[in-house]
Amino acid sequence: MQTTLSRRRTRLGAYLRANWLYYALSVPGLVYVIGYKLLPLVGLQLAFKDFSIFAGDNILESMFVSPWVGMQHFEKIFGSADFWRLLRNTLTISLMKLVVLFPIPILVALMLNEVRCRPFQRVTQTLIYMPHFISWVVIHGIFLTMLSANGILNRVLEALDLGKTSFYTDPIAFRWLLVFTEGWKESGWGAIVYLAALTGIDQELYEAAYVDGAGRLRRIWHVTLPGIAPVISLMLLLRLGGILEAGYGQILIMYNPTVYSTADVLQTYIYRTGLGKLDFSSATALGLFESLVGFVLIVSCNGVSRKAFGRSLW
Amino acid sequence: MAAVTQKSGGDRVLRVINVALLSLLGLVCLLPFVHMAAKSLSGRAAVSAGRVAFWPIDWTLSTYRYVLQDDLFWRTFQNSAFITIVGTLLALTITTMAAYPLSKPGFKGRKVILLLYVFSMLFYGGMISVYILMRALNLLNTLWCQIIPLVLSQYNLFIMKTFFEGLPEAIEESARIDGAGPARTLVSIVLPLSLPSLATIALFYAVAYWNGYYHAMIFVTRADAKPLQLYLYEMITTTQNLYELDPAQAAGLSSSGIQAAAIVVSSIPILIVYPFLQKYFVHGLTIGSVKG
Repeated sequence: MQTTLSRRRTRLGAYLRANWLYYALSVPGLVYVIGYKLLPLVGLQLAFKDFSIFAGDNILESMFVSPWVGMQHFEKIFGSADFWRLLRNTLTISLMKLVVLFPIPILVALMLNEVRCRPFQRVTQTLIYMPHFISWVVIHGIFLTMLSANGILNRVLEALDLGKTSFYTDPIAFRWLLVFTEGWKESGWGAIVYLAALTGIDQELYEAAYVDGAGRLRRIWHVTLPGIAPVISLMLLLRLGGILEAGYGQILIMYNPTVYSTADVLQTYIYRTGLGKLDFSSATALGLFESLVGFVLIVSCNGVSRKAFGRSLW
Repeated sequence: MAAVTQKSGGDRVLRVINVALLSLLGLVCLLPFVHMAAKSLSGRAAVSAGRVAFWPIDWTLSTYRYVLQDDLFWRTFQNSAFITIVGTLLALTITTMAAYPLSKPGFKGRKVILLLYVFSMLFYGGMISVYILMRALNLLNTLWCQIIPLVLSQYNLFIMKTFFEGLPEAIEESARIDGAGPARTLVSIVLPLSLPSLATIALFYAVAYWNGYYHAMIFVTRADAKPLQLYLYEMITTTQNLYELDPAQAAGLSSSGIQAAAIVVSSIPILIVYPFLQKYFVHGLTIGSVKG
């Protein structure tokens, strides 16, 4: 007994002597993930409490001494017309973006892959990746300028006798503006994933298809697309998993009160309720609802991807 | 692929259409920037009348002079520069440190730590929770509350982890045989080999910090702690609303010309750096973000 214990101890000692560096290196990352990501989850209790910022001497004390109210905030949320409007807007905007924008990066990757002139390919890539590196604030500024009453787009529309449109105040047009600007920013960049997948396709398959007399389009259809299908499916499932987010960072910058009816989403409402009106409890409850649904969605989508295509994010 | 290049007529038509469409796409991405640059360099009358398209009319630099003389512009520019430089260095260090052990199969505890990172990526505690944390730490209205949230991105962590996993074990083995300790091996063998990946994630972090506004919108209310993006945001939204009262009008400038100048100045740092780093991320990046 004595000997096995001490032998185990020396083995542990030897392991630590050889691998201490791994533990030391892990510390800062763990401090971040525990301190900034996990510890704040304690604050989720506010969803079940009636928070008053003046209940204690500081904000932590206020959080802990505020009285429990059970599911009251959730009942209020699910009973309000606001919630259903937010949910409808969130899902509508997400689905519009998904249906319209999802295929574009795939097409762009296929097109870039067919280009044989390297310099042209490189320059095109530089240009279409560029918007990804620009902030939403700047993009908002650019489009606000281009779409204003005497902006360049309305000038063109006027010249073509199509009449002016106020994209930033028309509730329906604004949703399409969100879809378009999102596509403008991310469609080119999104192609990178598929380009990487394309390099993994066995070249012999192309040669075999060629020998069989398949033209370019048929080779794309029968070789290229099946080759990148697993990545396409994974990307699609990831999108479905994030459907309640709807790109709120973009909306937070671009929207305004005239389009709240169609463009206000869960996160933007949480921002205004929580930090605008300081209604911490309602904001936390609504946020918890979104986080839980989002978590279940992404985990199940990843599970489907792993089962069906043998690919998963983790 | 070269072996199967066909030279039929239908093929040539397809190729021309392909190049034409890609060129169009490139132009659609480029022209809005050109339009803004042209506006920022044009005289007030031409801008107000909406006559400027893609080339400046009545060249002037007065809009830039106006922007560069604004104290709040400089203050927020410096804030963003500090956040970006310090944040990127910290993030790069912490991410590399965290990723290296996770790439070692022999590292006991690896599974648990990975699970923590994945869970924290998938479950968001909400903005109120982190607001309470920052307030309790007395970090509201500082630059640190804008650095901390982005100091480790799980996506970048996984890119680095996958990269380290791809390094041949023999390289580290031979360093060990030569008598180098594990720390020495990491610093003088592994890191120099990782420069392309490090450059890639450094660019991603720098862009996230420079373009960041979300955390500042939650944590910062004092003007002197705001980042450049919030300065821009307020400039864009208020000059639209208070067009008549705009001090720039009095100075004989159009507010949209000034906005255009501010937008150009704030985008220039990224637009200069990014094309040079393109060669790195086009290759190494995505193999890390999607696990096969």
